[in-house]
Amino acid sequence: MDTNAKFMIGRMYFSIFGLVVLGIGAAEILLGVTGRNLEWGIMEMSGEFLLWRGLILFFAGAFYLSSIENFSDIHQQAKIVMASMMIWIIAGMQIFSMILESIPGGEEGGWLNTFEGFLATYSAPYIPSLFLLPFSLVVLYYIKLLKEVEEKRLKEESLRTEVKA
Amino acid sequence: MRLTVDERWDLIDKIANQTVKYGVYRHTLKDAIAELTVKPLTGIPFAIAVLYGFWSFFCAFAGFFTDGFLVKLFDNHWLPWLQEVFPGKGGWVYYILVGDPMADNCFEAFGMLTSGLFVAIGVVLPAIVAFYLFLIILEDSGYLPRLAVLVDTVLHKIGLHGFAVVPMILSLGCNVPAVAATRTLETRKQRFMMATLLAIFIPCGAQLGIMLEVIPGYVGFVMIYLLAGFFVLGFILNKLIPGKSPEILLDVPPYQMPTARNVMRKLWVRVRSFFTVAIPFVLLGVVIVNIMYLTGFLDWLADVFEPILCGWFGVPKETVGPLIAAFLRKDLAVAQLSAIEMSTYQLVTSVILVSLYFPCVATFAMLIKEGREGGWKGVAQYLFGSLATLIVVVFLWGGLVHLIWIILGVA
Repeated sequence: MDTNAKFMIGRMYFSIFGLVVLGIGAAEILLGVTGRNLEWGIMEMSGEFLLWRGLILFFAGAFYLSSIENFSDIHQQAKIVMASMMIWIIAGMQIFSMILESIPGGEEGGWLNTFEGFLATYSAPYIPSLFLLPFSLVVLYYIKLLKEVEEKRLKEESLRTEVKA
Repeated sequence: MRLTVDERWDLIDKIANQTVKYGVYRHTLKDAIAELTVKPLTGIPFAIAVLYGFWSFFCAFAGFFTDGFLVKLFDNHWLPWLQEVFPGKGGWVYYILVGDPMADNCFEAFGMLTSGLFVAIGVVLPAIVAFYLFLIILEDSGYLPRLAVLVDTVLHKIGLHGFAVVPMILSLGCNVPAVAATRTLETRKQRFMMATLLAIFIPCGAQLGIMLEVIPGYVGFVMIYLLAGFFVLGFILNKLIPGKSPEILLDVPPYQMPTARNVMRKLWVRVRSFFTVAIPFVLLGVVIVNIMYLTGFLDWLADVFEPILCGWFGVPKETVGPLIAAFLRKDLAVAQLSAIEMSTYQLVTSVILVSLYFPCVATFAMLIKEGREGGWKGVAQYLFGSLATLIVVVFLWGGLVHLIWIILGVA
């Protein structure tokens, strides 16, 4: 598959993904403002920083959507990377706090958690960013692709310079 | 061999032609991200995400050590052991060093070796390590100067500059390192302004955590109200205080991966200074509060301020106790407020008062320490200046919230 086709697929992928992220962000903002919670299967939209998480996801979605035009441009790609990093921050911190929560034994327990308590910390429901995390990793492929394109271009440029010389 | 000027330039040209490669500079992905993070439209949403990460990291890290291990260590082992072995139970030395002999946790004991050590080691130290660790990563990665550039315009309106964002962020975790971080500001005027503003208007992480439990639906309002106060008072102080607020020229470095060695070295230097400088002040502060308790000075204060609290601020007289406790621990004071019978609006007002009211003992001690650079005169200026500002702000900003409730018809 040629590079243009790969960028075309990326453009379609991130426009759909951007819409999903934007939608979830808007829903979290709405729930945060009205002070409500939502649990849907193994996903939940609740917690102290719901409004902030919603805002971040909303902006991340907007970043994805605004970079569809002229998708292969480096500034547009940078916006996609930034949007993905915003999702990684939320999801990463959620995973980090789950790991730290799972270790101590709790107020009445011993120094360390029991095995059941340890496993229970990782059980569902999860916040939406954890579901969005694997889909946002696609950006890593496009970073690699962009690097390859850039290297190819530099090689061609240096060849042209050598021929001229 | 001696060369003439022309020959030297010829030689330079020859070397340059052989070693320098000319071409058109093209942006890399890193450059593009670096540009986007200082543009308001893309930079502000990204800054919100980074600050969310900062805050989440702080809560998880500090909570892991404090709630997970240190509370247990201090309450279940250190306090009972000290209560058992310390001689002279009931005497004034015992009260100052160990505190209440009936206390079953270090939160309420109020002794220098119990509450004092617990506050310093059990609460503030994990908070400081968490904040410095994240801050150093932001600093070394090159993001912090960009954040400073982003907020520079806004902070210039109140006589500060972009780097004032560092103590502001730190303050959301703990006011103690935040007051120390005001040293990065250039002039004494800026340092005094920043220390005063954050001691009054920015609640620490522990207080915020309790606020989220006590008034979950109103924390947003309280924060906006306090932030508005921060900028209003900042604007006024900038006009009133003599001194310079110079412009700064920031060198914004390219993004780079922080190295573990550098991060650990910087972290050690900063945490070491906390051990040697801040902890003695915190312990001294606890001793002073205990002496005030023992001499009945705090009770006298409570009696004096009771009519003002009930009349001007519209909160029940029982809030006097938590307000006094706020001098030692503001989070404890907010928790105590939740046990008092009052309306939601009175509770919100009380929480705002606890935030605006006197800085906690550790911050107070740091204010004294920061003022020392100007000798005793400097300490007096720093302390009395801050206190005078604080008294005016508590009355006006605290009274204003009561007025808002009256206008809304809920008070």
